[in-house]
Amino acid sequence: MSSFDVLDLPSLFQYQFLQMALVGGILAAVVSAWIGLFLILRKESMLVDGVAHTAFGGVAVGLLIGIDPMLGAMAVSAAAVLGITYMRRKGLAQSDAAVAVMMAMGFSLGMIVISMANGFNVELFSYLFGSILTIDNTDLTVLIALAVVIIGFMVFFYKEMLAITFDEDGARLQGIPVQAMTMAFNLLVAVTIALSIKVIGIILVVALMVLPGLTALQLKRSFKTTLIASTVFGVAAALLGIVLSVLFSVSTSGVIVFSAAGIFLFMAAYERLA
Amino acid sequence: MIDMEPMIEVKGLTVRRGNADAISNSTFSIEKGDYVGIVGPNGGGKTTLVLAMLGLLPKAEGSIKIMGQEIESFDQWEKVGYVSQFAINFDSQFPLTVRELVGLGRVNRRNMGRFRNKDDWTAVDEAIHLMGISDLANKRIGMLSGGQRQRAFVAKSLVSQPELLVLDEPVTGFDPVTQEKFFMQLANLNQKKGITILIVSHDLAAVFCRMSRVLCVNREVHSSAITEGTVPDEVLKRGYGEHFHFAFHQHQCQGVFIDEQF
Repeated sequence: MSSFDVLDLPSLFQYQFLQMALVGGILAAVVSAWIGLFLILRKESMLVDGVAHTAFGGVAVGLLIGIDPMLGAMAVSAAAVLGITYMRRKGLAQSDAAVAVMMAMGFSLGMIVISMANGFNVELFSYLFGSILTIDNTDLTVLIALAVVIIGFMVFFYKEMLAITFDEDGARLQGIPVQAMTMAFNLLVAVTIALSIKVIGIILVVALMVLPGLTALQLKRSFKTTLIASTVFGVAAALLGIVLSVLFSVSTSGVIVFSAAGIFLFMAAYERLA
Repeated sequence: MIDMEPMIEVKGLTVRRGNADAISNSTFSIEKGDYVGIVGPNGGGKTTLVLAMLGLLPKAEGSIKIMGQEIESFDQWEKVGYVSQFAINFDSQFPLTVRELVGLGRVNRRNMGRFRNKDDWTAVDEAIHLMGISDLANKRIGMLSGGQRQRAFVAKSLVSQPELLVLDEPVTGFDPVTQEKFFMQLANLNQKKGITILIVSHDLAAVFCRMSRVLCVNREVHSSAITEGTVPDEVLKRGYGEHFHFAFHQHQCQGVFIDEQF
Protein backbone atom coordinates (compact mmCIF):
# COMPACT_ATOMS: atom_id res chain seq x y z
CA MET A 1 0.00 0.00 0.00
CA SER A 2 1.36 3.43 -0.90
CA SER A 3 1.99 5.99 1.81
CA PHE A 4 -0.08 9.18 2.26
CA ASP A 5 0.97 12.73 2.98
CA VAL A 6 0.27 13.99 6.50
CA LEU A 7 -1.61 16.92 4.95
CA ASP A 8 -4.00 14.42 3.33
CA LEU A 9 -5.13 13.24 6.77
CA PRO A 10 -8.72 14.65 6.61
CA SER A 11 -9.32 13.21 3.16
CA LEU A 12 -7.85 9.93 4.32
CA PHE A 13 -10.86 9.30 6.53
CA GLN A 14 -13.10 9.26 3.46
CA TYR A 15 -11.61 5.94 2.38
CA GLN A 16 -13.94 3.11 3.26
CA PHE A 17 -11.09 0.72 4.09
CA LEU A 18 -9.84 3.14 6.73
CA GLN A 19 -13.31 3.75 8.16
CA MET A 20 -13.85 0.00 8.53
CA ALA A 21 -10.39 -0.45 9.99
CA LEU A 22 -11.03 2.27 12.55
CA VAL A 23 -14.39 0.79 13.61
CA GLY A 24 -12.88 -2.69 13.87
CA GLY A 25 -9.81 -1.40 15.67
CA ILE A 26 -11.82 0.59 18.20
CA LEU A 27 -14.12 -2.36 18.96
CA ALA A 28 -11.21 -4.76 19.38
CA ALA A 29 -9.38 -2.23 21.55
CA VAL A 30 -12.40 -1.71 23.84
CA VAL A 31 -13.08 -5.40 24.46
CA SER A 32 -9.37 -6.21 24.75
CA ALA A 33 -8.87 -3.45 27.30
CA TRP A 34 -11.82 -4.60 29.43
CA ILE A 35 -11.00 -8.30 29.33
CA GLY A 36 -7.28 -7.54 29.64
CA LEU A 37 -7.64 -5.52 32.85
CA PHE A 38 -9.45 -8.39 34.55
CA LEU A 39 -6.79 -10.83 33.31
CA ILE A 40 -3.98 -8.67 34.70
CA LEU A 41 -5.69 -8.46 38.08
CA ARG A 42 -6.28 -12.24 38.03
CA LYS A 43 -2.54 -12.60 37.26
CA GLU A 44 -3.37 -14.52 34.09
CA SER A 45 -1.88 -12.24 31.43
CA MET A 46 0.10 -15.07 29.85
CA LEU A 47 -3.11 -17.01 29.30
CA VAL A 48 -3.67 -14.62 26.39
CA ASP A 49 -0.33 -15.42 24.79
CA GLY A 50 -0.86 -19.15 25.21
CA VAL A 51 -4.39 -19.18 23.84
CA ALA A 52 -3.47 -16.82 20.98
CA HIS A 53 -0.72 -19.18 19.84
CA THR A 54 -3.15 -22.07 20.15
CA ALA A 55 -5.51 -20.11 17.88
CA PHE A 56 -2.88 -20.44 15.14
CA GLY A 57 -3.97 -24.06 14.75
CA GLY A 58 -7.59 -22.93 14.44
CA VAL A 59 -6.74 -20.39 11.75
CA ALA A 60 -4.86 -23.04 9.77
CA VAL A 61 -7.73 -25.54 10.07
CA GLY A 62 -10.22 -22.82 9.05
CA LEU A 63 -8.20 -22.02 5.92
CA LEU A 64 -7.84 -25.72 5.12
CA ILE A 65 -11.51 -26.62 5.32
CA GLY A 66 -12.75 -23.32 3.92
CA ILE A 67 -14.51 -21.72 6.88
CA ASP A 68 -13.83 -18.24 8.27
CA PRO A 69 -10.41 -18.59 9.96
CA MET A 70 -11.64 -16.29 12.74
CA LEU A 71 -14.30 -18.89 13.61
CA GLY A 72 -11.67 -21.63 13.46
CA ALA A 73 -9.47 -19.59 15.79
CA MET A 74 -12.41 -19.06 18.14
CA ALA A 75 -13.29 -22.77 18.26
CA VAL A 76 -9.72 -23.88 18.96
CA SER A 77 -9.15 -21.04 21.46
CA ALA A 78 -12.32 -22.01 23.32
CA ALA A 79 -11.20 -25.67 23.35
CA ALA A 80 -7.81 -24.54 24.69
CA VAL A 81 -9.41 -22.49 27.46
CA LEU A 82 -11.63 -25.42 28.44
CA GLY A 83 -8.59 -27.72 28.39
CA ILE A 84 -6.54 -25.36 30.56
CA THR A 85 -9.41 -24.99 33.03
CA TYR A 86 -9.87 -28.78 33.18
CA MET A 87 -6.15 -29.46 33.75
CA ARG A 88 -6.03 -26.87 36.54
CA ARG A 89 -9.16 -28.13 38.27
CA LYS A 90 -8.18 -31.78 38.11
CA GLY A 91 -4.64 -30.98 39.29
CA LEU A 92 -3.11 -32.38 36.08
CA ALA A 93 -0.95 -29.28 35.67
CA GLN A 94 -0.38 -25.92 37.28
CA SER A 95 -1.68 -22.83 35.54
CA ASP A 96 1.45 -21.87 33.56
CA ALA A 97 2.22 -25.49 32.65
CA ALA A 98 -1.36 -26.01 31.41
CA VAL A 99 -1.05 -22.91 29.22
CA ALA A 100 2.29 -24.15 27.85
CA VAL A 101 0.85 -27.57 26.97
CA MET A 102 -2.14 -26.08 25.13
CA MET A 103 0.04 -23.53 23.34
CA ALA A 104 2.37 -26.23 22.06
CA MET A 105 -0.52 -28.45 20.95
CA GLY A 106 -2.32 -25.63 19.11
CA PHE A 107 0.81 -24.40 17.38
CA SER A 108 1.78 -27.95 16.39
CA LEU A 109 -1.68 -28.45 14.92
CA GLY A 110 -1.13 -25.35 12.78
CA MET A 111 2.26 -26.58 11.59
CA ILE A 112 0.87 -30.00 10.63
CA VAL A 113 -2.02 -28.43 8.72
CA ILE A 114 0.33 -26.04 6.88
CA SER A 115 2.57 -28.90 5.84
CA MET A 116 -0.49 -30.84 4.62
CA ALA A 117 -1.85 -27.99 2.50
CA ASN A 118 0.60 -25.68 0.80
CA GLY A 119 -0.92 -22.61 -0.74
CA PHE A 120 -2.31 -20.45 2.00
CA ASN A 121 0.94 -19.36 3.58
CA VAL A 122 0.43 -15.71 2.60
CA GLU A 123 -3.06 -15.63 4.11
CA LEU A 124 -1.81 -17.36 7.24
CA PHE A 125 0.88 -14.70 7.49
CA SER A 126 -1.85 -12.03 7.73
CA TYR A 127 -3.31 -13.79 10.80
CA LEU A 128 0.09 -14.08 12.44
CA PHE A 129 0.76 -10.35 12.12
CA GLY A 130 -2.74 -8.88 11.70
CA SER A 131 -4.35 -7.20 8.71
CA ILE A 132 -6.85 -4.65 9.98
CA LEU A 133 -6.57 -2.56 6.81
CA THR A 134 -7.94 -5.42 4.70
CA ILE A 135 -10.96 -6.01 6.92
CA ASP A 136 -14.16 -6.54 4.87
CA ASN A 137 -17.88 -6.28 5.61
CA THR A 138 -18.17 -9.89 6.76
CA ASP A 139 -15.21 -9.51 9.13
CA LEU A 140 -16.67 -6.31 10.52
CA THR A 141 -20.11 -7.86 11.04
CA VAL A 142 -18.62 -10.81 12.95
CA LEU A 143 -16.45 -8.42 14.94
CA ILE A 144 -19.41 -6.20 15.89
CA ALA A 145 -21.56 -9.19 16.89
CA LEU A 146 -18.81 -10.63 19.10
CA ALA A 147 -18.03 -7.25 20.63
CA VAL A 148 -21.69 -6.76 21.53
CA VAL A 149 -21.74 -10.16 23.32
CA ILE A 150 -18.54 -9.42 25.24
CA ILE A 151 -19.47 -5.85 26.16
CA GLY A 152 -22.97 -6.99 27.19
CA PHE A 153 -21.56 -9.68 29.48
CA MET A 154 -19.03 -7.35 31.05
CA VAL A 155 -21.60 -4.57 31.62
CA PHE A 156 -24.25 -6.83 33.17
CA PHE A 157 -21.85 -8.92 35.24
CA TYR A 158 -19.38 -6.16 36.08
CA LYS A 159 -19.88 -6.36 39.84
CA GLU A 160 -19.83 -10.17 39.91
CA MET A 161 -16.63 -10.34 37.85
CA LEU A 162 -15.01 -7.71 40.07
CA ALA A 163 -16.03 -9.65 43.20
CA ILE A 164 -14.59 -12.91 41.78
CA THR A 165 -11.41 -11.22 40.58
CA PHE A 166 -10.77 -9.61 43.95
CA ASP A 167 -11.66 -12.53 46.21
CA GLU A 168 -12.82 -15.81 44.70
CA ASP A 169 -13.64 -17.53 48.02
CA GLY A 170 -15.51 -14.48 49.28
CA ALA A 171 -17.53 -14.35 46.06
CA ARG A 172 -18.35 -18.06 46.38
CA LEU A 173 -19.60 -17.49 49.92
CA GLN A 174 -21.82 -14.66 48.69
CA GLY A 175 -23.57 -17.20 46.49
CA ILE A 176 -22.02 -16.12 43.18
CA PRO A 177 -21.58 -19.14 40.85
CA VAL A 178 -17.83 -18.62 40.62
CA GLN A 179 -17.07 -21.70 38.52
CA ALA A 180 -19.71 -20.93 35.87
CA MET A 181 -18.81 -17.22 35.76
CA THR A 182 -15.10 -18.01 35.44
CA MET A 183 -15.82 -20.46 32.65
CA ALA A 184 -17.95 -17.88 30.82
CA PHE A 185 -15.22 -15.27 31.27
CA ASN A 186 -12.52 -17.63 29.98
CA LEU A 187 -14.63 -18.36 26.90
CA LEU A 188 -14.93 -14.62 26.35
CA VAL A 189 -11.14 -14.41 26.59
CA ALA A 190 -10.99 -16.94 23.73
CA VAL A 191 -13.53 -14.94 21.71
CA THR A 192 -11.66 -11.68 22.35
CA ILE A 193 -8.41 -13.23 21.21
CA ALA A 194 -10.00 -14.56 18.01
CA LEU A 195 -11.54 -11.16 17.40
CA SER A 196 -8.28 -9.28 18.01
CA ILE A 197 -6.21 -11.56 15.81
CA LYS A 198 -7.57 -9.86 12.69
CA VAL A 199 -6.55 -6.49 14.10
CA ILE A 200 -3.14 -7.16 15.54
CA GLY A 201 -2.23 -10.76 14.79
CA ILE A 202 -1.53 -13.84 16.85
CA ILE A 203 1.98 -12.81 17.83
CA LEU A 204 1.07 -9.41 19.27
CA VAL A 205 -2.48 -9.91 20.58
CA VAL A 206 -1.19 -10.11 24.15
CA ALA A 207 0.07 -6.51 23.87
CA LEU A 208 -3.36 -5.13 22.89
CA MET A 209 -4.94 -6.92 25.86
CA VAL A 210 -2.33 -6.22 28.52
CA LEU A 211 -0.67 -2.85 27.80
CA PRO A 212 -3.78 -0.60 28.15
CA GLY A 213 -4.70 -2.14 31.52
CA LEU A 214 -1.12 -1.96 32.73
CA THR A 215 -0.99 1.72 31.71
CA ALA A 216 -4.25 2.48 33.51
CA LEU A 217 -2.94 0.80 36.67
CA GLN A 218 -0.13 3.37 36.77
CA LEU A 219 -2.75 5.99 37.63
CA LYS A 220 -3.47 4.30 40.99
CA ARG A 221 -7.15 5.27 40.94
CA SER A 222 -10.46 3.47 41.66
CA PHE A 223 -11.43 0.38 39.68
CA LYS A 224 -14.04 2.29 37.69
CA THR A 225 -11.54 4.99 36.69
CA THR A 226 -8.93 2.35 35.87
CA LEU A 227 -11.37 0.52 33.59
CA ILE A 228 -12.32 3.73 31.77
CA ALA A 229 -8.67 4.80 31.46
CA SER A 230 -7.74 1.34 30.18
CA THR A 231 -10.39 1.68 27.46
CA VAL A 232 -9.19 5.17 26.50
CA PHE A 233 -5.56 4.04 26.29
CA GLY A 234 -6.48 0.98 24.21
CA VAL A 235 -8.58 2.99 21.76
CA ALA A 236 -5.90 5.69 21.52
CA ALA A 237 -3.26 3.08 20.68
CA ALA A 238 -5.49 1.49 18.04
CA LEU A 239 -6.34 4.84 16.41
CA LEU A 240 -2.75 6.05 16.48
CA GLY A 241 -1.50 2.74 15.15
CA ILE A 242 -3.94 2.58 12.25
CA VAL A 243 -3.55 6.21 11.17
CA LEU A 244 0.23 6.36 11.53
CA SER A 245 0.72 3.04 9.76
CA VAL A 246 -1.30 4.31 6.78
CA LEU A 247 0.54 7.63 6.74
CA PHE A 248 3.97 6.05 6.88
CA SER A 249 3.12 2.79 5.16
CA VAL A 250 4.43 0.53 7.92
CA SER A 251 3.03 -2.48 9.79
CA THR A 252 -0.26 -1.55 11.48
CA SER A 253 -0.01 -4.07 14.31
CA GLY A 254 3.58 -3.04 14.98
CA VAL A 255 2.62 0.63 15.27
CA ILE A 256 -0.41 -0.21 17.47
CA VAL A 257 1.84 -2.05 19.90
CA PHE A 258 4.48 0.68 19.81
CA SER A 259 1.79 3.30 20.44
CA ALA A 260 0.44 1.30 23.39
CA ALA A 261 3.95 0.80 24.75
CA GLY A 262 4.74 4.49 24.24
CA ILE A 263 1.62 5.53 26.16
CA PHE A 264 2.54 3.07 28.93
CA LEU A 265 6.09 4.43 29.25
CA PHE A 266 4.85 8.02 29.22
CA MET A 267 2.24 7.38 31.94
CA ALA A 268 4.65 5.36 34.07
CA ALA A 269 7.22 8.17 33.89
CA TYR A 270 4.59 10.88 34.43
CA GLU A 271 3.13 9.20 37.52
CA ARG A 272 6.57 8.82 39.06
CA LEU A 273 7.78 12.33 38.25
CA ALA A 274 4.54 14.25 38.88
CA MET B 1 -43.99 -16.66 68.19
CA ILE B 2 -40.37 -16.66 69.34
CA ASP B 3 -37.96 -18.22 66.87
CA MET B 4 -35.96 -20.70 68.97
CA GLU B 5 -33.96 -22.16 66.08
CA PRO B 6 -30.22 -21.95 66.87
CA MET B 7 -28.15 -19.77 64.55
CA ILE B 8 -25.69 -22.63 64.04
CA GLU B 9 -26.23 -26.26 65.02
CA VAL B 10 -23.33 -28.70 64.62
CA LYS B 11 -23.71 -32.42 65.33
CA GLY B 12 -20.95 -35.06 65.23
CA LEU B 13 -18.81 -32.96 62.90
CA THR B 14 -15.60 -34.48 61.58
CA VAL B 15 -13.43 -32.62 59.07
CA ARG B 16 -10.38 -34.25 57.52
CA ARG B 17 -7.32 -32.55 56.17
CA GLY B 18 -5.25 -35.14 54.35
CA ASN B 19 -5.59 -38.38 56.28
CA ALA B 20 -5.89 -36.76 59.70
CA ASP B 21 -8.96 -35.46 61.51
CA ALA B 22 -8.64 -31.67 61.84
CA ILE B 23 -11.98 -31.57 63.67
CA SER B 24 -13.24 -34.73 65.31
CA ASN B 25 -16.79 -35.72 66.22
CA SER B 26 -17.82 -32.33 67.62
CA THR B 27 -21.27 -31.21 68.67
CA PHE B 28 -22.29 -27.70 69.76
CA SER B 29 -24.74 -24.96 68.96
CA ILE B 30 -24.70 -21.18 68.77
CA GLU B 31 -27.84 -19.26 69.61
CA LYS B 32 -29.09 -16.17 67.83
CA GLY B 33 -27.56 -13.05 69.36
CA ASP B 34 -24.53 -14.90 70.79
CA TYR B 35 -21.16 -13.15 70.74
CA VAL B 36 -18.75 -16.08 70.43
CA GLY B 37 -15.00 -16.25 70.81
CA ILE B 38 -13.29 -19.18 69.07
CA VAL B 39 -10.01 -19.85 70.87
CA GLY B 40 -7.45 -22.63 70.98
CA PRO B 41 -3.78 -23.37 70.32
CA ASN B 42 -2.16 -22.75 66.92
CA GLY B 43 -2.94 -25.56 64.51
CA GLY B 44 -5.85 -26.70 66.69
CA GLY B 45 -8.40 -26.35 63.89
CA LYS B 46 -10.07 -22.96 64.53
CA THR B 47 -9.96 -21.82 60.91
CA THR B 48 -10.84 -25.32 59.69
CA LEU B 49 -13.93 -25.24 61.92
CA VAL B 50 -14.95 -21.81 60.57
CA LEU B 51 -14.44 -22.85 56.94
CA ALA B 52 -16.43 -26.06 57.48
CA MET B 53 -19.28 -24.18 59.20
CA LEU B 54 -19.44 -21.87 56.17
CA GLY B 55 -19.39 -24.76 53.70
CA LEU B 56 -15.99 -23.74 52.32
CA LEU B 57 -14.42 -27.04 53.44
CA PRO B 58 -16.14 -30.41 52.97
CA LYS B 59 -17.09 -32.32 56.11
CA ALA B 60 -16.32 -36.02 56.43
CA GLU B 61 -19.11 -36.78 58.89
CA GLY B 62 -21.86 -35.08 60.84
CA SER B 63 -24.24 -32.28 60.08
CA ILE B 64 -24.13 -28.47 60.08
CA LYS B 65 -27.24 -26.32 60.08
CA ILE B 66 -27.27 -22.55 59.66
CA MET B 67 -30.53 -20.77 60.51
CA GLY B 68 -32.24 -24.15 60.53
CA GLN B 69 -31.08 -25.12 57.04
CA GLU B 70 -28.59 -27.89 56.23
CA ILE B 71 -25.33 -26.34 55.00
CA GLU B 72 -25.60 -28.23 51.69
CA SER B 73 -28.89 -26.56 50.83
CA PHE B 74 -28.36 -23.26 52.64
CA ASP B 75 -29.22 -20.43 50.25
CA GLN B 76 -29.30 -17.30 52.39
CA TRP B 77 -25.65 -16.36 52.11
CA GLU B 78 -26.52 -12.66 51.97
CA LYS B 79 -27.40 -13.07 55.69
CA VAL B 80 -23.86 -14.23 56.47
CA GLY B 81 -20.84 -11.94 56.62
CA TYR B 82 -17.35 -13.45 56.67
CA VAL B 83 -13.89 -11.92 56.86
CA SER B 84 -11.06 -14.40 56.34
CA GLN B 85 -7.80 -14.10 58.30
CA PHE B 86 -6.07 -13.52 54.94
CA ALA B 87 -8.53 -10.87 53.73
CA ILE B 88 -6.22 -7.95 54.40
CA ASN B 89 -3.29 -9.62 52.62
CA PHE B 90 -4.58 -8.66 49.17
CA ASP B 91 -2.45 -7.29 46.33
CA SER B 92 -1.99 -3.68 47.44
CA GLN B 93 -1.85 -2.58 43.78
CA PHE B 94 -5.43 -3.75 43.23
CA PRO B 95 -7.31 -0.62 42.08
CA LEU B 96 -10.19 -0.60 44.52
CA THR B 97 -11.43 2.17 46.82
CA VAL B 98 -12.96 1.49 50.23
CA ARG B 99 -16.40 2.39 48.82
CA GLU B 100 -15.95 0.00 45.89
CA LEU B 101 -14.76 -2.77 48.24
CA VAL B 102 -17.72 -2.33 50.58
CA GLY B 103 -20.00 -2.18 47.52
CA LEU B 104 -18.92 -5.73 46.66
CA GLY B 105 -20.71 -6.82 49.83
CA ARG B 106 -24.00 -6.05 48.03
CA VAL B 107 -23.27 -8.65 45.35
CA ASN B 108 -25.08 -11.96 45.69
CA ARG B 109 -26.87 -14.60 43.67
CA ARG B 110 -30.23 -12.87 43.98
CA ASN B 111 -29.12 -9.64 42.32
CA MET B 112 -26.85 -11.08 39.64
CA GLY B 113 -26.87 -9.04 36.44
CA ARG B 114 -28.67 -6.14 38.14
CA PHE B 115 -27.13 -2.71 38.49
CA ARG B 116 -26.72 -1.49 42.04
CA ASN B 117 -29.19 1.26 42.87
CA LYS B 118 -29.35 4.22 45.25
CA ASP B 119 -30.46 1.98 48.16
CA ASP B 120 -27.39 -0.21 47.68
CA TRP B 121 -25.03 2.77 47.83
CA THR B 122 -26.86 4.23 50.84
CA ALA B 123 -26.33 0.91 52.66
CA VAL B 124 -22.66 1.02 51.61
CA ASP B 125 -22.19 4.51 53.04
CA GLU B 126 -23.98 3.51 56.26
CA ALA B 127 -21.74 0.47 56.76
CA ILE B 128 -18.65 2.61 56.17
CA HIS B 129 -19.95 5.14 58.69
CA LEU B 130 -20.74 2.39 61.20
CA MET B 131 -17.11 1.25 61.13
CA GLY B 132 -15.90 4.85 61.53
CA ILE B 133 -14.03 5.07 58.24
CA SER B 134 -16.17 7.56 56.30
CA ASP B 135 -13.13 9.79 55.78
CA LEU B 136 -11.41 6.90 53.97
CA ALA B 137 -14.31 6.06 51.64
CA ASN B 138 -12.57 7.19 48.44
CA LYS B 139 -9.11 6.04 49.42
CA ARG B 140 -7.57 3.02 47.71
CA ILE B 141 -7.58 -0.01 49.99
CA GLY B 142 -3.88 -0.62 49.31
CA MET B 143 -3.10 2.69 51.04
CA LEU B 144 -4.80 1.71 54.33
CA SER B 145 -3.16 0.53 57.55
CA GLY B 146 -3.89 -2.97 58.86
CA GLY B 147 -6.56 -1.75 61.27
CA GLN B 148 -8.24 0.40 58.62
CA ARG B 149 -8.23 -2.52 56.17
CA GLN B 150 -9.82 -4.77 58.74
CA ARG B 151 -12.58 -2.26 59.41
CA ALA B 152 -13.15 -1.83 55.67
CA PHE B 153 -13.60 -5.60 55.32
CA VAL B 154 -15.96 -5.75 58.28
CA ALA B 155 -17.96 -2.92 56.65
CA LYS B 156 -18.09 -5.03 53.46
CA SER B 157 -19.41 -7.98 55.42
CA LEU B 158 -21.99 -5.76 57.18
CA VAL B 159 -23.39 -4.08 54.09
CA SER B 160 -25.77 -6.89 53.25
CA GLN B 161 -27.17 -6.49 56.80
CA PRO B 162 -26.18 -10.01 57.88
CA GLU B 163 -27.64 -11.88 60.83
CA LEU B 164 -24.39 -13.81 61.30
CA LEU B 165 -20.90 -12.28 61.19
CA VAL B 166 -17.80 -14.51 61.21
CA LEU B 167 -14.35 -12.94 61.64
CA ASP B 168 -11.17 -15.02 61.54
CA GLU B 169 -8.39 -13.42 63.62
CA PRO B 170 -9.49 -9.87 62.86
CA VAL B 171 -7.18 -8.09 65.30
CA THR B 172 -3.84 -9.67 64.45
CA GLY B 173 -1.24 -6.90 64.39
CA PHE B 174 -3.49 -4.29 66.05
CA ASP B 175 -2.16 -2.06 68.78
CA PRO B 176 -4.13 -2.37 72.08
CA VAL B 177 -6.09 0.87 71.57
CA THR B 178 -7.19 -0.03 68.03
CA GLN B 179 -8.03 -3.57 69.17
CA GLU B 180 -10.16 -2.29 72.04
CA LYS B 181 -12.01 0.15 69.78
CA PHE B 182 -12.59 -2.62 67.25
CA PHE B 183 -14.04 -4.99 69.86
CA MET B 184 -16.25 -2.20 71.19
CA GLN B 185 -17.64 -1.59 67.71
CA LEU B 186 -18.43 -5.29 67.40
CA ALA B 187 -20.04 -5.40 70.84
CA ASN B 188 -22.17 -2.45 69.75
CA LEU B 189 -23.27 -4.34 66.62
CA ASN B 190 -24.06 -7.42 68.67
CA GLN B 191 -26.08 -5.58 71.32
CA LYS B 192 -27.86 -2.94 69.26
CA LYS B 193 -28.43 -4.76 65.99
CA GLY B 194 -28.65 -8.28 67.40
CA ILE B 195 -26.08 -9.68 65.00
CA THR B 196 -24.66 -13.06 66.02
CA ILE B 197 -20.88 -12.69 65.93
CA LEU B 198 -18.17 -15.39 65.85
CA ILE B 199 -14.58 -14.27 66.26
CA VAL B 200 -11.45 -16.39 66.05
CA SER B 201 -9.07 -14.78 68.52
CA HIS B 202 -5.99 -15.48 70.60
CA ASP B 203 -6.87 -12.70 73.02
CA LEU B 204 -8.53 -14.62 75.86
CA ALA B 205 -9.01 -11.48 78.00
CA ALA B 206 -11.01 -9.82 75.21
CA VAL B 207 -13.08 -13.00 74.77
CA PHE B 208 -13.94 -13.28 78.49
CA CYS B 209 -14.57 -9.53 78.85
CA ARG B 210 -16.84 -9.01 75.90
CA MET B 211 -18.30 -12.26 74.66
CA SER B 212 -21.13 -14.50 75.75
CA ARG B 213 -19.80 -17.90 74.64
CA VAL B 214 -16.44 -19.51 74.02
CA LEU B 215 -15.58 -22.39 71.70
CA CYS B 216 -12.23 -23.90 72.58
CA VAL B 217 -10.89 -25.83 69.60
CA ASN B 218 -8.10 -28.39 69.58
CA ARG B 219 -9.29 -31.10 67.18
CA GLU B 220 -12.35 -31.40 69.39
CA VAL B 221 -14.63 -28.44 70.02
CA HIS B 222 -15.56 -27.59 73.62
CA SER B 223 -18.29 -25.04 74.14
CA SER B 224 -19.20 -23.04 77.21
CA ALA B 225 -21.28 -19.97 78.06
CA ILE B 226 -19.32 -17.11 79.62
CA THR B 227 -20.93 -15.76 82.73
CA GLU B 228 -19.69 -12.53 84.24
CA GLY B 229 -16.51 -12.85 86.25
CA THR B 230 -15.87 -16.54 85.62
CA VAL B 231 -13.56 -18.45 83.35
CA PRO B 232 -14.61 -21.91 82.15
CA ASP B 233 -11.30 -23.46 83.22
CA GLU B 234 -12.36 -27.01 82.35
CA VAL B 235 -13.06 -26.04 78.76
CA LEU B 236 -9.74 -24.22 78.42
CA LYS B 237 -7.85 -27.16 79.94
CA ARG B 238 -9.43 -29.51 77.40
CA GLY B 239 -8.33 -27.23 74.59
CA TYR B 240 -4.90 -26.05 75.74
CA GLY B 241 -3.88 -28.93 78.04
CA GLU B 242 -4.13 -29.86 81.71
CA HIS B 243 -1.25 -27.56 82.68
CA PHE B 244 -3.10 -24.53 81.40
CA HIS B 245 -4.48 -21.91 83.74
CA PHE B 246 -5.68 -18.55 82.55
CA ALA B 247 -5.31 -15.87 85.22
CA PHE B 248 -8.18 -13.57 84.42
CA HIS B 249 -9.63 -10.86 86.60
CA GLN B 250 -12.93 -9.22 85.87
CA HIS B 251 -11.51 -5.78 86.66
CA GLN B 252 -9.31 -6.12 83.57
CA CYS B 253 -12.43 -5.41 81.56
CA GLN B 254 -13.14 -2.12 83.21
CA GLY B 255 -11.80 1.36 82.88
CA VAL B 256 -9.83 0.82 79.71
CA PHE B 257 -10.04 2.89 76.54
CA ILE B 258 -13.54 4.18 77.15
CA ASP B 259 -14.73 5.94 74.03
CA GLU B 260 -17.91 8.02 74.26
CA GLN B 261 -18.60 7.45 70.57
CA PHE B 262 -19.63 3.90 71.35
